[in-house]
Amino acid sequence: MRSRVGIVAMTAMALFLGVLVVSQFRSREAYSRTLQQETPEQLTRLIADLNDRNRQLRTEIFDLRLALEAAQSAIASGRGSLETSEKQLARLSVFSARSRVTGPGIAVRVEGQFDERALSDLVNELRNAGAEAIAVNDARVGPRTWFGPGSSGTLVVDGKETRGPWIVRAIGDADVLYVAMTRTGGIIGQFELIYTRTRFTVGREPSMDLPAVSGT
Amino acid sequence: MTDSRALQKGLALMLPAFLFGSFVAAQWSTIALPGALDVSIRYIDPLSTTVGRLQEEQTALRAQLTDLRRQLDDIQRTASAQGGAVRDAQARIDDLRVSAGLSEVRGEGIVVTLDTVKAVGGKETDRVCLAPDLTDLINAAWVAGARAVAINSERIVASSSVYCVGSTIVVNGSIVAAPFAVSAIGPASGLLAVLDDPAQLRDLKRRRDRLAVDMRVTRAAQLTLAPYTGPLPGRQARPQ
Repeated sequence: MRSRVGIVAMTAMALFLGVLVVSQFRSREAYSRTLQQETPEQLTRLIADLNDRNRQLRTEIFDLRLALEAAQSAIASGRGSLETSEKQLARLSVFSARSRVTGPGIAVRVEGQFDERALSDLVNELRNAGAEAIAVNDARVGPRTWFGPGSSGTLVVDGKETRGPWIVRAIGDADVLYVAMTRTGGIIGQFELIYTRTRFTVGREPSMDLPAVSGT
Repeated sequence: MTDSRALQKGLALMLPAFLFGSFVAAQWSTIALPGALDVSIRYIDPLSTTVGRLQEEQTALRAQLTDLRRQLDDIQRTASAQGGAVRDAQARIDDLRVSAGLSEVRGEGIVVTLDTVKAVGGKETDRVCLAPDLTDLINAAWVAGARAVAINSERIVASSSVYCVGSTIVVNGSIVAAPFAVSAIGPASGLLAVLDDPAQLRDLKRRRDRLAVDMRVTRAAQLTLAPYTGPLPGRQARPQ
């Protein structure tokens, strides 16, 4: 009786494993089938984006190896790893938006009707173009920043009401950011078609100061 | 003797069961995704193969990066045990890593799964870009006070962008395959309340109600979100 129960259990397990193995295989296959449905232009863009991201990863791997060697030799020589720690602190404080930052970039000025979804899309597009730090008026955009509608045409950023005109400043490679925003069919072009009475101006800035995220 | 015969019987049943399970799953998937193989444009195959290869390369690079970050962290943690300024710096690094999304987070939360609706026979009704819905869901999660959010295994951080190339979704520079699971750790009741708020996700809910998109919300008592594994941009922005 016990052996029969065991056989049934083992059979059920084998059946489940069979389904699981093929499901995993099919999941990968479905992923590549999605790619098969894209046009050559779309695939070329994906290739460019992936190449770009992989290049960033290689650069960071290279930098981290140097940091690792520096920390190891500093500790071996009795100097401690404070310098490495401080460099890491500076980098993380920029990445988490917990420190004020300075650098070149672009400013997008929005004068007229605008809404929170469009603002969120603009920030998403700036991040996609490689923005390293972003602020909306005097509110720094952090890892958990949210946007909402305010009263009388205002917008809410992290619970704080901001009035137009909105100036969205982004630190990063100014040329890359500028082209990403203003290219034909880009986000600013789309906004101009949707918000016909709103004026959008994009300008390169040699140096900007952005505040830290609020509450720090 | 009885035991060995039982074992033989068991093994004899297991093999066909495994094969049958494989066969059923294979057949089901074939029915679920028809029509995708009839695209025969000359450049699609080599280009999509290249995309797949670069994505695999990225996965390997991320694993390497994660390992190097761990090694550096180990060295600094060992050095900080000696106390003083290094220990203070390490405490601040740990704090920043949490707020930056570079640490694993566990806790209660919700998972919202999005996918395109498939008609009878499994053919997708429309090839739509779900990226705006995903960014709306992320925004709603932060509104509700989420501590951490991820799309599939991609943790959302300050540099995260979500966009479509055709109907392929890219998050943190990495291709993410459907169905898309937006996991948010935070007060589950608060997260659910924001999702139920008629002012939130109006567009997505309208399309869900028209059966144009499949949206499922589940409450989870314990979620684990892995840390962000991508690069940290920081070439132009300098701390003041």
